[in-house]
Amino acid sequence: MLLLSSLVSTCISFSVLAENDEQATLSLQRLSQSLRELNFNTSFVVVKNNQAEPYHWLHGISPSTANNTPVELEILALLNGPRRDILRVGNTVSYLDPEYPPYSIASEQISGPIPAVFGRNISVLEESYHFVSVGRSRILGRAAQLIRIVPKSTDRYSYWLWLDQQSGLMLKLAIITRRGKLLEQIQFTHLDITDTLSNNLVQLQTADLPEVINVNSQQKNVGFLWNINWLPSGFKEVKSNIHRINTSKKIVEFMLFNDGLVDFSVYVNSSQDKQRAVEFAHDGATIILNQVINNVEVSVVGKIPLATAKKIVASVSFTKN
Amino acid sequence: MSENKFETISALVDSDHTIDHKSKQAIDEILKDEHLTKTWQHYHLIGDVMRGEVTQTLQLDLSEKIADALVNEPTILSPKSSGNKKNNHFKNNTLKAKIVQLAKPFGQFAIAASAAGLMILGVQQNTLGTNEIIIPSQVVQTIPLGGFANPVSYTVQQPDNTSVEQRNEQRIAQQRRFQAFLSDHQQQIKLSAVTRTDDNLVIEKSAVNIDATQK
Repeated sequence: MLLLSSLVSTCISFSVLAENDEQATLSLQRLSQSLRELNFNTSFVVVKNNQAEPYHWLHGISPSTANNTPVELEILALLNGPRRDILRVGNTVSYLDPEYPPYSIASEQISGPIPAVFGRNISVLEESYHFVSVGRSRILGRAAQLIRIVPKSTDRYSYWLWLDQQSGLMLKLAIITRRGKLLEQIQFTHLDITDTLSNNLVQLQTADLPEVINVNSQQKNVGFLWNINWLPSGFKEVKSNIHRINTSKKIVEFMLFNDGLVDFSVYVNSSQDKQRAVEFAHDGATIILNQVINNVEVSVVGKIPLATAKKIVASVSFTKN
Repeated sequence: MSENKFETISALVDSDHTIDHKSKQAIDEILKDEHLTKTWQHYHLIGDVMRGEVTQTLQLDLSEKIADALVNEPTILSPKSSGNKKNNHFKNNTLKAKIVQLAKPFGQFAIAASAAGLMILGVQQNTLGTNEIIIPSQVVQTIPLGGFANPVSYTVQQPDNTSVEQRNEQRIAQQRRFQAFLSDHQQQIKLSAVTRTDDNLVIEKSAVNIDATQK
């Protein structure tokens, strides 16, 4: 009897799971659409390392006067500390950071604390993640649907998304380890959806953005004398280059990988130290890990678990020293 | 406060005769009562005015006026700086004043955001009982493996040739190294987000699907 009932319940949970997956995919597609098509004015805080970073985020669609195609307008501003603003008009994104003179790049997505993929094509995540619809709760005073983006393999983190049932927009985002430990979260604190553009975005339309810099020239594949022999499945090389790190002035050989949701970087550079054991630090969900072997420093940075970062560093081999 | 007491005050002010036991008691009472003390002051003033013994500038109560003035004075928390280095960045470069102007109103949201911070604390406390994970992770700090020791473990046996100072220096160097890699990683992500046109087509398609399924 007991066996039978447990069997029945297993069947039920399986069918529920299957149904939920479809629901989750639809919710994520709706999120992507809402992020691109709605006029919203919102604030959120990124909570990590026991600190909160407040942001203000504006998005809107305006019919462009020049060629009558709608243009997406976006402003993301960090509210604490030195000014860090990101402005976007259509395919131009401008970054105003204290470290660099203002610059623009040709891009359709801003790169901030919220993964850009949520406003893009969600299906690229299906290769490495399952989408699971979990249940409802109340976030920011609104009815929210919890969607979990669960990795298919153990070598990366889960993303939990609470989506507004009314607008489809994001109300909360959390990065969670395999064991359910919270590493980083984004909590929205205010959300306004309007029919018309907000004043700031109207002003942005007529603003002169800094000049677009050519990024492609930095992306030429250069032959390195080292190889990464293990990558978590689903990660692909985005670019590789040799550049100078702005703060430490070190010249590094660099590769960037991405699985649609998560980025990680691998750095290889010469070091004054002969040997140094593996060291690492966490910034929220981001790990920074490095070691020195035979005067060569190898580092990995990204929102990946410690074990994954270690494995990547350990897999680096040198064709010549 | 009877009429009687005011009369007593008046009598005391006017009379020149020596102080007896009764008037002594009255004076004690006057000193205890703020209102009566003021009346005492005013009666003397009236007397002075009538006798023509008042100075040109009449200052009834200076301390009160100063206190009032201080209340109305705006508090200046920090001196105005004529322009800090970071803002010069904006001025010197190709960016026009318009953008700076555009971004200015963001300051006002800082207040809303700090309120938001408080709200989050509230949220965390309210939901601690449920199995939802909202507890913030502990302050994550550098966790050296092997080679280095944590500050807490200084009492543990150490190689003789390294002092505490040296270890602290090493730790600072380590933090700098990590910070440099972290900010470069973030910068490289920004630069890598260049337009990929083939992405767009798929998005248009999925958007159509949504319209069909969502009502």
